[in-house]
Amino acid sequence: MTGMEAGLLLQTEIEAGLIPQTGLEAGLLLQLGLGALAVLTALTAAPFLRSRAVGILCTLIAVTGFLTGLVAMLGGTGGLRISIALPMDPLLLAPDRLGGLFMLIVSGVGILVSLYSMSSTHGPDASRTAWVAMPVFLVGMQLVPAATDSVSFLLALEIMTLGSTVLLLADHASRATVASAGIWYSAMSQLSFFFILAGFAVLAAASGGTSFSTPQAIEPGPANVAFVLFLLGFGGKAELVPLHVWVPRVLPEAPSHVSAAMSGAMVKIGVYGGLLVCVRLLPDGPAWWGIAIMVVGGASALYGILQASVSSDLKVLLAYSTTENMGLVFLGLGASLLLRGYDATAAADAALVAALLLAVSHAAFKSTLFLGAGAIIHATGERNLDRLGGLGARMPVTAAAFGVASLGAAAIPITSGFVAEWMLLQSLIHGGRLDGAVVSVTASVAMPLAVAVIALTAGLALLTFVKAYGIAFLARPRSAEAAKAREVPPLMQLSLALGALFVLALGLLPGPIAALVGHTVSSNPSAAVQSIGLGGVSLPGIGAVLDPIMLVVLSALVAIPVIVSIIVSARGHPHRTVDLPWGGGGSRARPRMQYTATSYAEPLVRVFDDVLKPSRDVQVTHVAESRYLVERVRVEQRVSDVFETRLYRPVLNLFQRYGIVVRHVANGSIHRYLSYSFVALLIVLIVVSL
Amino acid sequence: MFETFYPQLIGLCTGALLLTSALMVWRHSLLASIRLLALQGIALAALVAVIGIAEGESELVLVSLLILSVKGIGLPWVLAHQSKASIKQIQESPRLNPTAALLAVTLLTILSYVVVSRVFGLGDNETGHAAPIGLAMVLIGFLLLISRRRARSQLIGFLLLDNGIATIAFLTSGGVPVLLEFAVSLDVLLVVLILHVFTGRMRTKFGGTSVDQLRELHD
Repeated sequence: MTGMEAGLLLQTEIEAGLIPQTGLEAGLLLQLGLGALAVLTALTAAPFLRSRAVGILCTLIAVTGFLTGLVAMLGGTGGLRISIALPMDPLLLAPDRLGGLFMLIVSGVGILVSLYSMSSTHGPDASRTAWVAMPVFLVGMQLVPAATDSVSFLLALEIMTLGSTVLLLADHASRATVASAGIWYSAMSQLSFFFILAGFAVLAAASGGTSFSTPQAIEPGPANVAFVLFLLGFGGKAELVPLHVWVPRVLPEAPSHVSAAMSGAMVKIGVYGGLLVCVRLLPDGPAWWGIAIMVVGGASALYGILQASVSSDLKVLLAYSTTENMGLVFLGLGASLLLRGYDATAAADAALVAALLLAVSHAAFKSTLFLGAGAIIHATGERNLDRLGGLGARMPVTAAAFGVASLGAAAIPITSGFVAEWMLLQSLIHGGRLDGAVVSVTASVAMPLAVAVIALTAGLALLTFVKAYGIAFLARPRSAEAAKAREVPPLMQLSLALGALFVLALGLLPGPIAALVGHTVSSNPSAAVQSIGLGGVSLPGIGAVLDPIMLVVLSALVAIPVIVSIIVSARGHPHRTVDLPWGGGGSRARPRMQYTATSYAEPLVRVFDDVLKPSRDVQVTHVAESRYLVERVRVEQRVSDVFETRLYRPVLNLFQRYGIVVRHVANGSIHRYLSYSFVALLIVLIVVSL
Repeated sequence: MFETFYPQLIGLCTGALLLTSALMVWRHSLLASIRLLALQGIALAALVAVIGIAEGESELVLVSLLILSVKGIGLPWVLAHQSKASIKQIQESPRLNPTAALLAVTLLTILSYVVVSRVFGLGDNETGHAAPIGLAMVLIGFLLLISRRRARSQLIGFLLLDNGIATIAFLTSGGVPVLLEFAVSLDVLLVVLILHVFTGRMRTKFGGTSVDQLRELHD
């Protein structure tokens, strides 16, 4: 065969789609192939090999997704075309820059989770079914941002939901709450799916095609309907109020690595959907879209963090905090939409980049936090903060990683959360004015309100994560299990450390990452966000600069002499130990005398009593001889979800009543069914002869 | 000669069909119902034969022989294939008392006349005039299905319904090709055989064939 013939053969093979043409196509094909291989391995591998073998394959899937996402984000083109038997256009998976970014986020979390799950899973979490579902979940999640038509988008979305549902149900045999969580999750995810499907249907009817790339000239009527449907659908996926009710049930009940993947990655698909709609499918929407998104986002942020701050269950706390963070992301998205409507492009771009950065940093710190919670459960079997404590000394790596991630979640400087919230605040503060003039009354009312929401949220978040970290890792153990805790296996430590490192890296060197993110959404990226100095970030449009490394260096210049002089002067005085003549009770301190998570949040519950509506139960047991002496007091406080009790419960009750009525109508009697058809036939005959 | 009798013969056959249907609703004994079914099959075969002779189509005569063998002899024999003594004891206790049932039959017959005349028009030939009988048989068969408790009585309702459909077909369009009729007849025979075996199993398993007891839905 001559070279020319070989070239010709290669050409035909490329045309026939046998050999991938571009890096993107190869990456997507590889993900699908590895996914199939992982499913096969999970089905056939021996139990003692299963976790390792499939875990490695899952890590490879995630790494492939990471690289593919990176190529797409840097502007790579090409994609995977899948012809299908149905009479419609072939499915086309070709991620653009924005899709690449989200593929990167999702698979980054996937890498952490796969590494972690290799040694964390045991028992039902490591069953064959669970390990089959894991690669399905990962691949589905990574393909959603790659979809360029609504059919493949919905298909990937459903594959993702299916995988996550099976993973959630892994432990259903041992706990009854898992089954209930599964029902809530299925119902709510199908509700979201229904809204998204309806939204795409409206769009397809209005634009005449299912592809995302067809020019969008859609009438305002259908566009508004589609927008509301998409907001409900993707809001449900992104855990926004009032469609968040599944979150506090599902994330705590799922195995920890699954909740990390759900909260860190799957929820971002909701964000991606929101961006897809507002940036790509229906650009230049009216101002009220921005306001609607801001209202939903702000309400979610406040409600989420409020619930998180009073929760004493570590995973419920993290779950509600996810609602808060997603609320902030949507607040940024809404603000950007609103500002773009008033031609404040620089501030709009900054808000959008801030929203994306928040999504990236949330993926990093929230998956680390959930994995940390998983490590705590692995070590103690407890997730109730009131029974933890003193884990810092026993689990140093977990404590360090959890601490860094908590700083990120509380948006403290030198972590990723701070950079994102700083940028969001900058864009909101400067967004109301353009060249010194007020852009509009709406914006000048909305922006300060949004700033207030973020300020309150940030304060409560600080309180929440001080509680989460302080009660769990500091002080003395509050239970025997916590006292006996041991550090988790090295692989789990590795993924925790990786997550924490990324939180720090994004916080210290935000510039390059922000510039990259800016490329994905802005038409003029260098005007929106730039990298300056040692990885610092600059927003030229609104004249704001943040350089964390410089800040660290400066504060070190100030702090080091002070610390050195303190140490030197301390050397001069020898250490003395003095026996206290009277300890004031402090010398007999017991673990029960410490603050608990519930008591720490108690003032907050009082302040927000009207919103949270807690139910308290105080039981006083008197000493048998006298009712003036108390033997023990038991206080129980439950904070239920207002939306669940006030909004969902009545609707569910209505459906239940309807179900009971219908059961009488269709009671299984053949005669009754036959009578129905007979009567129907008679009615038809009478009607046609009238 | 034949032309003068033709309308009367059509009237006689369709009258027999309607009469047997009404009697089936009235009588509660299973054996009587089976005999009436056989009679109805013979009447149907006679109707087809009369139409065939009047139209001069030998194929229809062939079909009438087929109907006679399947609906007049075969199916009743299958249904009654059990010791006469036991089948005589089977008494249906229907969900509708005989007076109400006969009243319902009257109303259904009137309804079918109204429907056919208003919707399709009665047409100007004798067979067209008799077409409502077929619809009435279908409705009466349905009535039997919902009013009878025992599986085997319901089977008879089902067969009556099938006869009704066949009657409509022959009266309005001069029947179907012989091959199709053959296939349909075999189908009905097969269904009846299966249901018959099924009823037998039901009786040995539960001791009774009252469909009312089959209310629990199982996975």
